Amino acid sequence: MRKVSRLGYEARLGWSLVAPALSVIALIAIFPLGWTVWESLHLHELRMPWLGQPFVGLANYVEIAKDPRFWAALAHTAFFTVVSISLELLIGLFLALAMNRAFRGRGFVRAAVLVPWAIPTVVAALLWRFMFESQGGIANALLVDVHILKQPIVWFIQTSTAWVPVILADVWKTTPFVALLLLAGLQNIDLSLYEAAAVDGANAWWQLRHITLPLLKPAILVTLIFRTLDGFRVFDLIYVLTGGGPGTSTEPVALYTFNALLQNLRFGYGSALSVVIFAITFGLALLYVRGLGVRLGGDET
Amino acid sequence: MRLAALLLFAAGFVTACARTSKSHETVLTFSGSALGAEGTLVAKQLRKFMQLHPDIRVELQRTPDDANQRHQLYVQWLNARVGNPDILQLDVVWTPEFAAAGWVLPLTRFSPASSEFFPATISANTWAGQLYALPWFADVGLLYRRTDFVPSEPRNLGELVTDAKRAMARPGGPRFGIVWQGARYEGLITGFVEYLGAFGGRILDDSGRVVVNQPEAVRALQFMRDELYTWHVAPLDVLTWHEEEARFAFQNGTAVFMRNWPYPVAAMSDKSQSRVAGKFAVSPIPASGEPGGHSTAALGGAQLAINAYSESPDAAYRLIEYLTAPEQMLERGQAVGQYPTRPALYDDPRLRSALTIPLDDARRAIESATPRPVTPIYTELSEILQIELHRALVRQAEPQDALNSAAKRIDALIERTGMRKLMSSAHNAPAPAASSTAGGAE
Repeated sequence: MRKVSRLGYEARLGWSLVAPALSVIALIAIFPLGWTVWESLHLHELRMPWLGQPFVGLANYVEIAKDPRFWAALAHTAFFTVVSISLELLIGLFLALAMNRAFRGRGFVRAAVLVPWAIPTVVAALLWRFMFESQGGIANALLVDVHILKQPIVWFIQTSTAWVPVILADVWKTTPFVALLLLAGLQNIDLSLYEAAAVDGANAWWQLRHITLPLLKPAILVTLIFRTLDGFRVFDLIYVLTGGGPGTSTEPVALYTFNALLQNLRFGYGSALSVVIFAITFGLALLYVRGLGVRLGGDET
Repeated sequence: MRLAALLLFAAGFVTACARTSKSHETVLTFSGSALGAEGTLVAKQLRKFMQLHPDIRVELQRTPDDANQRHQLYVQWLNARVGNPDILQLDVVWTPEFAAAGWVLPLTRFSPASSEFFPATISANTWAGQLYALPWFADVGLLYRRTDFVPSEPRNLGELVTDAKRAMARPGGPRFGIVWQGARYEGLITGFVEYLGAFGGRILDDSGRVVVNQPEAVRALQFMRDELYTWHVAPLDVLTWHEEEARFAFQNGTAVFMRNWPYPVAAMSDKSQSRVAGKFAVSPIPASGEPGGHSTAALGGAQLAINAYSESPDAAYRLIEYLTAPEQMLERGQAVGQYPTRPALYDDPRLRSALTIPLDDARRAIESATPRPVTPIYTELSEILQIELHRALVRQAEPQDALNSAAKRIDALIERTGMRKLMSSAHNAPAPAASSTAGGAE
């Protein structure tokens, strides 16, 4: 009897001690999320007060499901995420392997590699836009000089060419971050494994495939989580570079949501879009964490 | 009972005192730019107004110069029923939206002298048969032309293309025939509206039906495409260009013609920064030459309206009346080169030196101006059109298909926003749209 009440007291003390933290979380995370969900069940157009703010159930979600522009935006986002992350992982791995070697000026190189990462995205996007913008831009001049292009082209009026500066800018900017994460992973690998492998006569390729990559898996997965979530929420880069054009053929979901919410001031529909994006990124994160957990466990046993 | 009466009397007395002590001064807030020559001019005119009306004090509330930002701010304030600023500075395409939302007051009860303004500037500010804002200054689309290559203005769009080709073919001739604003933004609509009018087409007809996929509109869009891909008079670059990129090209002498607003005239006439100073002229954009088509300029500019939540609408109207009076408008034209919205001022010799282009040309251009669709859902309608026009111009879609898609989506927009009902009630009853709709919303 006494024990139970003691436990109750401890539990109550425990709850009261975490209560401030919990209420802060509720205030800054759960409340806005709940509000957004609530808003998404209403018709709420700031510009059209004559429509009132009726409860419409799932009508906003139905509109999203029927909207070809949303599905196209989702496809653009997936395309951007997959292509840019693949390139970043490949180049990042290469950079990390190079930086992991002992060579003179390694510290300087490691710092220098981070410069693109340190530049604000909007500034970087403007720089890339400038390089690709006009027919007399640097990109055109270079490519014509080396005879890849016969004549200058207008990059931003064709879907295929409009993606080029977008992907390049993202790869240029984010690869250093990927490389750094992977480098940290590389430094956790026990060097004696390589010595043993060398003694057994394994060549560099074999060492990479059978020692480095398997042991780097946790670092790669962490990188993938970060980058996938970032990729799915891509906004500023594309907003500055293409504005989602030509037409809407490079528009990602975040830009579409921004447009509905802040340009057209459709609070109900825009909130529904935000909830959908949240659900997608949350689902992706869960998927990765699961995958990561399983593999981590596997490595440990 | 007696106590209550006494209290009531006391309360009445106190408020009366409060009112008399405050009635010396009504405070108005005016929303506008505080930057540069424009800011100086506004400050000066407001000071003069206060001297004329010692009982009114006007405070300038700075709002962003960027139209989108200003719009967003206004909408947020008005949703929160904030009475400041008392006087709103509206872009020409916002008035119906604000009127239908009940955010600005109809001016009918002040009986404004609307016949003294250009008719197009009045119809742009009219919703449901009532005037909601007075035009402050006008902006119109103009055709700029290099007089050293094309001495006389083209009489129709066909001539324009021929002139452009001939000038491009001359040794040392400009690289581009005509430059305009073709990026996916509001500027694309203003250009399209001009070609559309030149071919006799419209976006919405008088009863609010969508007619943007009719043959005239398809021909207008096809003409823009042919300038790019068939006659090669417009560079593909224009599909990413706004006003400034077009100005750079023309100012550097690389284009024969340019579509733009009046603002670049001053900079381009300056020999120190312009290669075309003294070598260009402006004229209204010509018609297509096809039956039904007429010379058309997109109408832009700023309007002044009264915040529906303002505490002093009468004082607010007096300020609007003052700022749009001939004398202030003339001063504005002289100080910052903005076009007056009163035709009578174009006979005033004092304006001659101010506008840098011949007054008759300016007047002709404004007389050919057409408002973009006057509807509360303009912004979203415009977004749909921007996307579909851009798709057609970059050849992702054929003009007819793009315009069909635009028409379908605009129809869906009209349906979704209850515009059809609003428009028919607006046409039948000249009662203020605001009050009749507010009842429906509650």
